[in-house]
Amino acid sequence: MPVVDVQPDELRRLTGHEDKSDEEFKDDLFALGLEFEGVTDDGAFQLEFGPDRLDRLSVEGVARSLRYQYGDARGVSVPNTNDPDWTFVVDDDVPEERPYVTGAVVRGVDLDDAALDSLIQLQEKLHATMGRKRAKGAIGIHDLTMLKGDVLSENASGNSITYTGIEPDGDTFVALDSNDELTPAEVLEQHDTGRKYADLVSEYDRYPAIYDEIGLFSFPPVINGRRTEVSTDSRDLLVELTGTDQWTIDRMCNIICYALAARGATIEDVEVQYGGGTVVKPDFEVETKHVSHDRIETVLGVELEMDEVIDLFERSGLDADAELGEETVYEVSIPPYRVDVLHPLDLVDDVGRAYGFNELEPRYPDVGTVGQRHERSRLEDAVRTSLVGLGFEDLLNFHMISEEENYERMDVEVGSEYLGGGEPASITEPYSEDYTMLRTWVLPSLTMVLENNTHRAYPQDLAEIGHVAHRDDGENTRVAEARHVAAVLARHDATYEDAKARLAALCRDYDAELETPATEHPSFIDGRTAAVVIDGEEVGVVGELHPKVIVDHDLELPVAAFEFDLSALA
Amino acid sequence: MRLPESQVAVLNAASATDERTIAQLAEATDQKPETVTGAVFDLRDEGLVSVTETTAESVELTDEGVQYAEEDLPEVRLYRAALDVGDGDAVPMGQVIGASSLGGPQVDIALSNFARKGYGTIDSGELAPDADADPDADEEAAALAALAAGESVDADVLDQLESRQLVVRHERTIRAVTLTDEGVTALMEGVEAAETVDRLTPELLTSGEWEDVEFTEYNVEADAPEARGGKKHILRQTADRVKDVLTGMGFAEMEGPHADADFWINDCLFMPQDHPARTHWDRFALDVPPMEDIPEDLIDRVRDAHLNGVGEDGDGYHSPWSEDFARAIALRGHTTSLSMRYLSGHEVGELEPPQRYFSVEKVYRNDTLDPTHLLEFYQIEGWVMAEDLSVRDLMGTFEEFYSHFGITDIQFKPHYNPYTEPSFELFGRHPETGELIEIGNSGMFREEVLRPLGVECDVMAWGLALERLLMLMYGFDDIRDVHGTLCDLDLLRETEVLK
Repeated sequence: MPVVDVQPDELRRLTGHEDKSDEEFKDDLFALGLEFEGVTDDGAFQLEFGPDRLDRLSVEGVARSLRYQYGDARGVSVPNTNDPDWTFVVDDDVPEERPYVTGAVVRGVDLDDAALDSLIQLQEKLHATMGRKRAKGAIGIHDLTMLKGDVLSENASGNSITYTGIEPDGDTFVALDSNDELTPAEVLEQHDTGRKYADLVSEYDRYPAIYDEIGLFSFPPVINGRRTEVSTDSRDLLVELTGTDQWTIDRMCNIICYALAARGATIEDVEVQYGGGTVVKPDFEVETKHVSHDRIETVLGVELEMDEVIDLFERSGLDADAELGEETVYEVSIPPYRVDVLHPLDLVDDVGRAYGFNELEPRYPDVGTVGQRHERSRLEDAVRTSLVGLGFEDLLNFHMISEEENYERMDVEVGSEYLGGGEPASITEPYSEDYTMLRTWVLPSLTMVLENNTHRAYPQDLAEIGHVAHRDDGENTRVAEARHVAAVLARHDATYEDAKARLAALCRDYDAELETPATEHPSFIDGRTAAVVIDGEEVGVVGELHPKVIVDHDLELPVAAFEFDLSALA
Repeated sequence: MRLPESQVAVLNAASATDERTIAQLAEATDQKPETVTGAVFDLRDEGLVSVTETTAESVELTDEGVQYAEEDLPEVRLYRAALDVGDGDAVPMGQVIGASSLGGPQVDIALSNFARKGYGTIDSGELAPDADADPDADEEAAALAALAAGESVDADVLDQLESRQLVVRHERTIRAVTLTDEGVTALMEGVEAAETVDRLTPELLTSGEWEDVEFTEYNVEADAPEARGGKKHILRQTADRVKDVLTGMGFAEMEGPHADADFWINDCLFMPQDHPARTHWDRFALDVPPMEDIPEDLIDRVRDAHLNGVGEDGDGYHSPWSEDFARAIALRGHTTSLSMRYLSGHEVGELEPPQRYFSVEKVYRNDTLDPTHLLEFYQIEGWVMAEDLSVRDLMGTFEEFYSHFGITDIQFKPHYNPYTEPSFELFGRHPETGELIEIGNSGMFREEVLRPLGVECDVMAWGLALERLLMLMYGFDDIRDVHGTLCDLDLLRETEVLK
C-alpha cells in the first residue's frame, strides 16, 4: 500500500483552511480512506491508502481531494494550457522495447524546499506504483533554461528535443550525483542509480536517450543528466516521460501537471512527433462513462433523488448530466488525473463514498440457500474426532517443508516407491531453505514436532490429518494432492502393536477391512513394518520407526507410527 | 444390628445419662476425633444418639503476648527508664529510649501506650513521667500474667489485648453426646461391627456380600494422578466453529487444488499481470510445466476483460497479458481461486442465483515470517450470489457472521481491491480490549470478474485469516507456538477448549 508524506502546513495552505488542526485533518483524511500511520522526523503525516487514487500521491492531490470533501471545489476542473513551443521528436532509432514518450512544459513554478520535496516524492511514488518501478513509465523533470532547442527545419520557430536510441558505449554525459563523463553502459556499471536500474535496459540493443542541441541530457528510465537538474531556483520546467504504454505515461504526466498547476504554474502543451504523425500532450481529455440511476440505487441499497446524485458526483470531483429516458442515465465526466475508473461501477463507488458508506443501514439479505460441509471435510472431521477419541493430540503443521526433512532425515530417497518417496513439487524461489517444497507425507512433520518437544511430558501420542502433494505431470495442475492420516506414539514402551491396535480401531469405526502384510520401508525397522491395506488396496505403512531416524531427531525412546491415505476410509 | 466399627465403639462408650464430648469419646474409643465426629453424625442420623452443641471461646497469647508476659510491657519499661534517667523530671526522648534498651517497632508501641495509659506526657520531644503512676497495677500486664497462668480475665481488658494483637481468640463448637432410648435398646439387643473393605470386587458384587460391608474412606480432596486425553487442535476448533456458523447461515463448502494455474488464482480475479502482488516476491511459483487444460473460451473472455474491459463503457488495464503467465502454476495466494472455479461452473456446473459458498482453507504468501505472519495460513472465504445485491446486504451479512465471535460495532472503511468495487476493509470492536481492529476485507466482485465467468447477477465476497480470528479470541502473541512444527505441546495441551 502506498504511503505518502504530507506536511500539515502545506495542507493548510493548499486547501485554504489555515485554521484546521492536525487532529481535524486526520479525521477528514480517514474519511477519504487515507489512514494516518505516524509522523516523520520533520513533522509530516505519513498517510497510507489504497493504490487506486494515485492522484493523491502528493500533498497537492490530497489537498485537492479535501477541497472536494469540504465543498470548496465541485465538478471537473481542467487546467488551461498554452500553445506548444517545444516539440519532442521520436527518432527511428528509439528502442522498440520502450517506444513511447509524453510530457509538458511547465512555466512560472515557484519551488520552495517543501514544494521541491513534494515534487520529488510524487515522482518517486509514481515510479513505484503506476510506473512499475520505472519499467512501465519513467519521469524526467528538467530545468528548461538549461536546455537548448534544436531548431527544426520544418518549424523554424520552435524548440525541440529528440528521443532516440544509442549504442551502450555511445555518447557520454554527466549523470546526477556524479562528476564523471560516462557512457550509458558505464553509468550502469559505475553509478549507484545506474546499477539499481540496470536490469531495465541491459537486454536492449540500443539504450533510450534524449538529446537537445547541446547533446545527451537524459538516459531514461535510469537517470537524468546533471546539466538540467531542477533546484529551488528553477522557474520553467520540461517534463518528459518514456515508457512501454502511452496511456500509462500520459496519466502519470497528468498527475504531475495537476500537482504543479495547483501551485500556480502554467502548463504549456508540447508536440510529440512520432513516425506516424504528431500528437499534442499533455492529454487532458475528459472522458465520459454512463451509469444508470437504478444501478446506483441497487448497489447502495437506498433511494436517491436525481439532484442528490448529481450533487454527490460533483462533490467527488466529477460532473454528471442526467439523460432522462425510460430510465435515468447519467453521463459522467471524469477528470484526466483519475487512473482508477475502468467501469461505470467505479463511479458508483465514488457516489457511495461521498454519501458515506457508514451512513447505510446494514440488512441481512433475504435470500434462502442451504448450507452444507463438503464431503471431504466431513470425512476429515469425523476421522479427526476418532483419532482424538483414541487419545491422540491433534496437530497442524505446515505444508511446506525442506527436502532434507522430507526425505533425508527420514532416510527415504527421492523418487523411490516407498510412502513419502514421491517427486517433490518444488518452489522456484523459496522464502528460506526450510520451506523449499510441499511435503510428500506427514510423518516428517510429526517427527519434527517430537524433536522440538523432548522437554515435554511423555507419552506423546500425536496425530495429524493433513495435506500432502508430489509432482505428477499427469495431473492438470502437475501436482497430485491428497490428505493423509498420520500418527506417532512416542512412549518408553511403544511397540508395533500399539500403532496397529489404534489403526485397527480406526478402521473398525469406518467399517473398513484392514490387512497388514509385512513390508519394508527405510524409515521403519525391518521385520516390524507392514503395509496398510484397506479394503484390498495398499494405502500406507505402519511400524516402529528406525533407530537411526529416532536418534537423528534427538529422541531417546521408541516411536511407533502409521500413515495412510484418508480417502481409504471414505 | 450391624454398624461400622467406629460407630459400634462410640455407641458403647456413650452414656444415656451423662453427656460425653467428642474429645472424651475419642479418648475412650482410641479413635481420631474426626472419625468419632463422623460416627456421631451417622449415629444421630440413625436416631441412636442425640447431640448438643455449645460454643466455647479459648484465648491464646501471641508470640508478642508471651514475650510481654515474661518481661514487661514496653510502656512500662519506658516509664521505668524515664524515672531512672530524669529522677521524676522531663527528659529528652532519645535519652530515655536509649536507657530503656527498647528497639525496633517496640519503641513506637511504647510511646503510643505510654500516654494512653497515663504514664506521663510527651511534649516537644521530651518525656515527662507521672510520678503517681503505678506500673505494678497495670491492668494489661496483670491480664497477660493471668492468661499465661491459664486463668480467665475480664472481657474489656481482653478486647484491649486483642487490639494490641497480644492475644488471639478462638471460637469452637463443643459437641456432647448422649444415647437415645433407641440407642439404649439397640445396645441391649446387641450391636456387631461390620467388615470394612478397600476395593469393591466382582466377588463382593456377585456374592451379595457387598450388603454387609463398609467401604474405607478415601481422602477425596487429595490430588489424583494427571490424566490426558487428546483434543482437536485449537485452530481446527476455531475452523470448525467458523464452518458451523457459515453452514448455519446457508453457506456450502468449496474444495479445490492448493497448486493451481495463475489463471484461476489471479487472472480470473482481474488482477493485472504486472500487479506488484503477482511478482516473484509475493508468489510461490512451482517448478512444474504449465497447466494445459483451461477452457479456451474462458481464457479468451478473461483476456478480453484485461485488455478491453467489460461493457460498453468499460476500459481494460494498460498492461500486457500473457497466456503463458496465466497457465503457470503456483501455490494459491488466496482461496478466491476456488470461488473463481465455482463461479465459472467449472466445479459443480453452472450456478443459478441465489447461492452462498465458503471455504476455510490454506493459502500461501511469500511474505515475512514473524509472530503474526506465516508463509501459509488459513483463509476464511465466503461469497453470496444473488440478483441485485447491495452494500447493505454485504454489511448485514458480516454483522451477522462476526456477532457469533463476539465482535460487534462493525465499521466499513472504503478500500481498494482490483477485483471488488465497492470494497471495504472491515473493522470491529475487540471483545476483550474494546479496540477497533481490522477483521477482514470485502466487496462486490467487479463485472470484469463476473461477466467472463458467465455470471450475470451480483456476487459479494469477503476474506479473513483464520489465525487472526484465533489470535483475537485467545490472545496468543506468537502464532508459531500454535501452527507448525515449532509448536509447543504443552501450550496445545493446556489451551482451553472452544465452547
